[in-house]
Amino acid sequence: MDEPERLAERILEGDEVTAAKVISMIENGDSVGFEVLSFIFPKTGLSFRIGVTGSPGAGKSTIIDRLAVSYANMGRKVGIIAIDPTSIRTGGTLFGDRIRLKSAERIGGVFIRSMAHRGFQGGIAKAAFGAQCILEALGKEIIIVESVGVGQTELDISLISDVVITVFTPDFGDEIQLMKAGLLDVGDILVINKMDLPDAQKRATDFEMYLATFGRVDWHPPIVKLSARRGEGIEDLVKRIEEKRLDGETNRDEKIRRLILSLIKEEISKKVESLLLRDEIESLVLEVKEKKRDPYSLSREMVSRILKEDHRWERRE
Amino acid sequence: MGEKRMKILIAKPGLDGHDRGAKVIALALKEAGMEVVYSGLHKTIDQIVNMAIQEDVDAIGLSIMSGAHIPLTRKLIEKLKERGITDKKIFVGGVIPSRDIPVLEEMGVHGVFPGGTPIEEVIRRIKEILGN
Repeated sequence: MDEPERLAERILEGDEVTAAKVISMIENGDSVGFEVLSFIFPKTGLSFRIGVTGSPGAGKSTIIDRLAVSYANMGRKVGIIAIDPTSIRTGGTLFGDRIRLKSAERIGGVFIRSMAHRGFQGGIAKAAFGAQCILEALGKEIIIVESVGVGQTELDISLISDVVITVFTPDFGDEIQLMKAGLLDVGDILVINKMDLPDAQKRATDFEMYLATFGRVDWHPPIVKLSARRGEGIEDLVKRIEEKRLDGETNRDEKIRRLILSLIKEEISKKVESLLLRDEIESLVLEVKEKKRDPYSLSREMVSRILKEDHRWERRE
Repeated sequence: MGEKRMKILIAKPGLDGHDRGAKVIALALKEAGMEVVYSGLHKTIDQIVNMAIQEDVDAIGLSIMSGAHIPLTRKLIEKLKERGITDKKIFVGGVIPSRDIPVLEEMGVHGVFPGGTPIEEVIRRIKEILGN
């Protein structure tokens, strides 16, 4: 296995095989992968990173396929990272996004990589950010990350994107669902897809009115209505994305800050898990079961013990 | 993040339009804990090789119901060699007469699964071959 610096050179020269292998290292938490990244990272920063989120079935992949074609027609090299959920039950993943990226597959110069979420809450940003850097090192100027958009994962995607597109469909009418899902909190551009469905126009108007009334107070993101399946409205979306890109106002400082904090928290959390011995945890479980201690004071005490006992941190190296 | 995983591409090359078998296998392998990329229909061998490279899969499984398994497999193996890819295992499944099994194995295929092979056996053998 070559040295990290040599691997980084190969990627910068356009070696896709090496790039793909290093992305796998990052996914697996292999330290060599991160060493490669340390050589690559200083050379990144010029690519434009688009995040696409929304409920399953909203049409994210189809939209991304159309976007890839549009950007390729503009002469840009495109990279796509599609994140799919890992089955908690079996640990396996079925990646189906490539099926809908048919046109993107046919264009030269599009690198598509599927990544499993692996149930790692908050941690997917770590692997996806690394993959973005590698795709940029390969020469991709537009990097699109597609993420499963329920619960907390949209927040991750804003950490690693210059612009986030949140995709809805006209049948997303239940207001409580919208509020619960938190999907409205993150998008810089909101898309209503599947405008080819019957009644779509009326429902889209209802949705827009809802947003105007109950949406975020600070500002109202532009809404683009389109039909990815029919290829209608895509130029509008590209226009909005380009507006954002040329605007330059992407909040990079804030995102870098949050990314660093998120990575630090993740490292600490991994460390803590490796420090707690199994019999220690079992005795804690017993104390809580027998109501001798409550879980809150017990965990606070464990944290002070772990932090004070410096030698524990060293022993586990 | 952290555990090593087995990743496989289930691909449908050529004009063959029957994808039920491929989808059943893809789902079964996922249930068995693997990461499975499904290619979709009508992919060229070049596209399949590109997918295998980009996804850094450990194995490529061709699902072929059209009878064209020998020329398609040969082409896949040639293209992989051309691109310098030597570390991916190759499996072929579908409508495959038993007399063709040794021919495919001779070419370098690591496992042949004619239609009717029980799914548990397919999974077991794939995991065995990838585990080594």
